[in-house]
Amino acid sequence: MGGLAFLSPLFLVGAAAAAIPIAVHLFYRRAEPLVDFAAMRYLRSAPVEQARRRRLREVVLLALRVTALVLLACAFARPYLSDSVAALNGDATMVLIDTSASVSAPGRFAAAREGADRAIRAAPGTHAVGVMAFAHAAEVIAPLSQDRAGALAASAQLEAGGGATRYLAALQRAAETFNGRSGRIVVITDLQQSGWDAASEGGIPGTIAVELEDIGGPSTNLAITSLRTEGTEAVAVVHNFSSRPATEQVVFAVDDRRIGAVPLVLAPEGSAEARAPVDGYRSGALSASITDREGYLADNVRYAVLDAANATSVLAVTATGHPSEALYLERALAIADGTGGFRFRALSGAAFSELDGDGLGDVNVMVIASTSGVGQRGRERLAQFVRSGGGLLLTAGPDVEPTLLRQALDGIVAASWAARPAQALSFAPDDSRHPVFRLFGGGGTLGNVSFARAALIDAPAYAHVIARYSDGSPALVEERTTGGRVLLFGSDLNYRWNDFPLQPAFVPFVHETLRYLAAPRATRSDYLVGDLQVAAGSMPGVVELQGRRVAVNIDPRESNPARMSAETFQAGISWLNTTAAQQARSGARQEEDSQGLWWYGLLLTVVSLAAEGVLGRRLG
Amino acid sequence: MNAHATRTRPSELRFLDPAILARLGSVELRARAVVEGLLSGLHRSPLKGFSVEFAEYRQYLPGDDLSSIDWKVYARTDRYWVKKFEEETNLDCHLLLDASGSMGYGSRGVTKLEYGSMLAASLAYLMNRQRDAVSLTTFDEAILTMVPASARPSHLRSILVTLDRIALGRRTDVSKPLHRLADGIGKHGLVVLISDLLDEPERVVDGLRHFRFRGSEVIVFHLLDPAELTFPFERAARFRDMELGDEVMAVPSAVRREYLDALRAALDRYRRELGSEGIDYRVLDTSTPLEFALVSYLSTRGRAR
Repeated sequence: MGGLAFLSPLFLVGAAAAAIPIAVHLFYRRAEPLVDFAAMRYLRSAPVEQARRRRLREVVLLALRVTALVLLACAFARPYLSDSVAALNGDATMVLIDTSASVSAPGRFAAAREGADRAIRAAPGTHAVGVMAFAHAAEVIAPLSQDRAGALAASAQLEAGGGATRYLAALQRAAETFNGRSGRIVVITDLQQSGWDAASEGGIPGTIAVELEDIGGPSTNLAITSLRTEGTEAVAVVHNFSSRPATEQVVFAVDDRRIGAVPLVLAPEGSAEARAPVDGYRSGALSASITDREGYLADNVRYAVLDAANATSVLAVTATGHPSEALYLERALAIADGTGGFRFRALSGAAFSELDGDGLGDVNVMVIASTSGVGQRGRERLAQFVRSGGGLLLTAGPDVEPTLLRQALDGIVAASWAARPAQALSFAPDDSRHPVFRLFGGGGTLGNVSFARAALIDAPAYAHVIARYSDGSPALVEERTTGGRVLLFGSDLNYRWNDFPLQPAFVPFVHETLRYLAAPRATRSDYLVGDLQVAAGSMPGVVELQGRRVAVNIDPRESNPARMSAETFQAGISWLNTTAAQQARSGARQEEDSQGLWWYGLLLTVVSLAAEGVLGRRLG
Repeated sequence: MNAHATRTRPSELRFLDPAILARLGSVELRARAVVEGLLSGLHRSPLKGFSVEFAEYRQYLPGDDLSSIDWKVYARTDRYWVKKFEEETNLDCHLLLDASGSMGYGSRGVTKLEYGSMLAASLAYLMNRQRDAVSLTTFDEAILTMVPASARPSHLRSILVTLDRIALGRRTDVSKPLHRLADGIGKHGLVVLISDLLDEPERVVDGLRHFRFRGSEVIVFHLLDPAELTFPFERAARFRDMELGDEVMAVPSAVRREYLDALRAALDRYRRELGSEGIDYRVLDTSTPLEFALVSYLSTRGRAR
């Protein structure tokens, strides 16, 4: 039930000013003077005003003045329509049922239903009762009412889904349904530890108590936490979330046709990869499944899409276009060929300059390994590519002429570089949180890379230096363009000035760098349940999205059966209580901002004053 | 007697403000102040009819009385000249003064009744001085007082005393007294109606037509207060009828145009219909000096001779 609320209700005190015209009307009303007049016969022929009509007009005038003042006060009080403001009478009990993937373990959801039934039946007779299901999102199944039978029927219809547990968002949503009532929220859950999401915003008022109904959970779980293709193989990662070793068989299928089965032995709390050849499949829905009957059933299968069209397209500009000139790059990218991988090709500078208009249409990222042969047309094409949001990786190697690139990217990219004497250097992330270095943690094996030569990068103040050489000079610099990203790497990537291609960090560095550059143009093919705002995205599987197929899988964090105690859970809620007022205030402000009702109030005030002016003038 | 003198306009004379005049002691004093002032201003005026003195010579025209030829002049000039004298008259003048309730209205220190009284007194003074017989009748919806016509000098005092004691009457009904008076006037004369004419124009015109039918010259002084002419009110007010007592709420700014249109239409109608009956119709603003009215009277009297 919606209602009208005010962001700054103190301004409503100003509405008391409406009493002024009323008081004037009642107590200080100026009586019209009585004028004796002789030529009344001519006055009567004019449309004179009768006393009754005048009184009516005066009342209307008074109403307009009062309305204008009240509207003005309301406009300053910043009104908004809210679902949570209409305080209703009576307490309520909202039963919050966990339907995440973690309750798909055998017998767990039945326990959840039973717990919900108990909670509904045990609700005090004076309470309104409602039912909500939650996982990554919360949904009202039965709104708050006295209809307990309806609530029971609604809870009986629920099934475990594939979403991840998100407690805070669910609690906040449940609190919103109270509409100012007090009462209790009964959470029927397996208390999965990963369900607390610190990033969630929300809170519940202190007038609402939270009670827990622990349905328990399995102590072991085998889960497929990853499915990808590497080259011609499908690779499934199976994780053993238990303290006992386990054996499992991973079954691979493409478009529901079994293509292989791989047995695995899993160490306690360990993981293992299962590989199956998929070289005969250029497209299709790949799945890998296991038959874990003790743990969560929902994470026993994982999906991927083999459609090559989803791979990131990389174009490298080399001196002659021969693959050997970008050998290490090509090899690094080939590892991730297939879904989530890369489509690589190399062109000479001259060939690049001769590309027609559509030649770069499907390219996500360009890597400049050489500027030899790049003509005026090529420079223009490069600038156009960057302007249109394409990702660009500039390598400051021996075959790349900085002057040419400076001309080509004038007004787009300010960073440049100059040669400097040979010097033994290493490099490390300057911003380890940058997506390029996300996999490396604090730097890790990156420090093993030896640079014999490096360019001296001249980066503008606004550029983002994300890695530095051991002498402090920039090694990797990012510049954002209108729609895309440009990275300047201060050495080459072809084993000429450094040994980076021989280091284990090279492949993930190249993958992450190119994926990061391709992100603005790239099309994802792998989503988690709840990422897609379409109905098909609420369950694991392969679904159609804008004419292409994408895989929807369970959040790997949901596969961890680690549980928390009820005290830990309540401690989290206590923290919510302390911020509930602030969060409610923030929510109200956002709601008010989006509605902008005060503008209408102000407009109506002006209209009322204009009408009052016209009518007042007629009344004299 | 030159042409310039004959065209002397009253506005060029120094007249007394009616409001100041009203503060003078007696009606007689007021009338004397007006008339004597006017007459002194009209020195060498060609307005004939109130003097027995020689007026002018003019060439004889066929049809002129032979006895009027000045033979001495003929002897000197060998031309026929007619000697013009201002004539003695036996004109009966009837002053009809409206004393209804509406005449009590005045916005600038003098009411219409006071103004009308001064006008009647001045006319009576002037007429008496010319040896004209003067009567006075005051009326509202009926005849209130009546002083019969007489040319005796002592008669003037009766009229002035009557005017001095005049009191406001009730409703206006001009036509009934007019018809009654028209029937009572025995011979041709001059009828002067002083009224605010707040009555049905048709009935007023009908009553005055009765006088014309009886052969009398009629002059109507339509008295209006400046506030009635311009409706200068600003604030909303309850306007109370001075005769009926009923009230009307009006916002002046909203009704002013319609009021003035209605007033203008009524004045136009009076002017048109009375003019067509040969009745001299003058609208007098009560802020207008009385001498204007006297000049109008004199010109009309000349026609009535």
